[in-house]
Amino acid sequence: MGLTAIEKVLARVCGKTQVIPGEIVYPNPDYIMIHDVLVRETKIQLDQVHIKKLAHPEKVMMFSDHDVIYGSQRAAERGKYNRQAAKEWGVTNFYDAGKGGHGHIFPMEQGIILPGMFYFDNDTHATNAGAVGAFGIRVGGEISRVLGTGTTWLTVPKTIRIDLQGQVNPGVLGRDIGFFIARSIKNGSIKADFDYRIIEFSGDLDQFSFGDRVALCSSPTELRAAGVFIPPSERILNYCQAHHQSPFTPIFSDPDAQYESTYTIHLEEIEPQIALPGNLSNSVDISESLNIPVQHAFIGSCGSGTYEDLLLAAAVLKDKKIHPEVRLFIVPGSEASTRRMLREGLMEIFYDSGAMILPAGCGPCNDAVVGPIAPGENSISTATNNNRGRFGANDAKLYLGSPLSVAASAVCGKISDPRALAISQELLHQIESAYV
Amino acid sequence: MSEYPWQLRGHCYLLGDNVPHPGGVIPLSLITARETDPAVLIPHLFSETDSGFAERVRPGDLIVTGKNFGMGPKGCGYIAMQALGLGLLCESMSVQAYREAISTGLAVLNPCPQITTMCAMHDDLEVNFQNGLFINHTKNIRLEFPAIPKELQELVSKGGNTAWLKFWQESQKK
Repeated sequence: MGLTAIEKVLARVCGKTQVIPGEIVYPNPDYIMIHDVLVRETKIQLDQVHIKKLAHPEKVMMFSDHDVIYGSQRAAERGKYNRQAAKEWGVTNFYDAGKGGHGHIFPMEQGIILPGMFYFDNDTHATNAGAVGAFGIRVGGEISRVLGTGTTWLTVPKTIRIDLQGQVNPGVLGRDIGFFIARSIKNGSIKADFDYRIIEFSGDLDQFSFGDRVALCSSPTELRAAGVFIPPSERILNYCQAHHQSPFTPIFSDPDAQYESTYTIHLEEIEPQIALPGNLSNSVDISESLNIPVQHAFIGSCGSGTYEDLLLAAAVLKDKKIHPEVRLFIVPGSEASTRRMLREGLMEIFYDSGAMILPAGCGPCNDAVVGPIAPGENSISTATNNNRGRFGANDAKLYLGSPLSVAASAVCGKISDPRALAISQELLHQIESAYV
Repeated sequence: MSEYPWQLRGHCYLLGDNVPHPGGVIPLSLITARETDPAVLIPHLFSETDSGFAERVRPGDLIVTGKNFGMGPKGCGYIAMQALGLGLLCESMSVQAYREAISTGLAVLNPCPQITTMCAMHDDLEVNFQNGLFINHTKNIRLEFPAIPKELQELVSKGGNTAWLKFWQESQKK
């Protein structure tokens, strides 16, 4: 009987020939990731039990992406604490504020996270690793055990396969497909429970670029998936070969691998989607939500933080102005993308449009440490989710869309279909060569 | 592991399906603040849905829930439950929520299919978390649910993640 990709990867990092879904294992990870918000409580916990040395400091990656600009005294103190913690722990892979960017984006861009790898992470959005055919699994506060001992327990997840058939319609992006999957579960056309499953995509995947693949990883995460796996295409593998910082071996599921269930989605049925407030499973075709006024908008986050997303936004905003009643935040996923925006003219397009550029990281999506929304306002964004109060007032209405839809809505001051606007084809064509 | 109270007997506290951790179990403000001190958390356990719960409840009481308890990975309410000496039996909870609960050292049985149909509020319940034996003395029902996996019993019996790390650290010295 064949194995799925997660079963193969876990078998490798557990030193076994195979693992079985439901089995409890203790993987020896390729990397261990922790972000700025959790360092302090983790270090206090380890100090309490006199664990001063990490099991594998060379494997640890620390990121400052949740609160990059220190919007409070408390945040500044936390930043200082984290720098000291990195020194005491001997963590050299420490990407402090302004030094790397979003921990679920730039390690793939820089060829650190590569196909076939496995890592433990404190954060749910570790699932982004599926964009290059790797796995990151969240263990929450138990990241302290991984730091201290090198591993922790993990139940081998089951795998659900989603077969994407056909070609996407113009103006439809990875985020739209993710929102469509979420609504399909809610309306019962996909009768699956994603809880702690690996969602493996198959089918006509070659059309999906790196940015689309990152976007495809986003919605399953919010539906409680443990991970997402997108078999890397030749294009992805070429990128990884060109940028890899360590050797890697891509992993693919066996043809006779056992899936818990398989579902087919016909891509031509999908229109641009808007997730109505409360949950991304409240998604509808954009035609059903047009003209709702918005005052707050942002493009970025784990789900839409690649350079391709910035190109998409710029393609809409070029030679246009943001609506006077809208504030739009652009949040790159990496410091490298910020510098590239400057080199390739995107910075000028954004500033000319009236948008504001935030430092690389999570942006407003993290508890609104920057760019919050006021009571009674409406927001449209590419945030990972639109749960009540996600980035500001509890009674604000949070809508989600693709980078194209968010940019179009920011220009029009109301939820708007990007297909109705003039879009720079020149910038869209640059997506093809954004990651080579 | 014999010193850990694997067997609890107490009154049933019955909850329905889809109880969210923020608000349904403990106030969102304590979750956002990442509060971990049991003394701070205990007075707020179920405070937004049942004020006075923390004063009424007794060690050994058992929280019985419907499907999807906690609705996600947030978990500081489990710290309060563990500190109060309670047990938790869920028709279902997400794997990440289960992980949070187990890592506090809380005694949890999950999944317990249809358990809410076998219990009423205040029923006299007895549960062994090591072997999964469940008895409702009030209704004279006796059956078995999946026990806490053997691989995780040491983590629970030591008192959760931090206490287990202390145990591990001391065993390394030896």
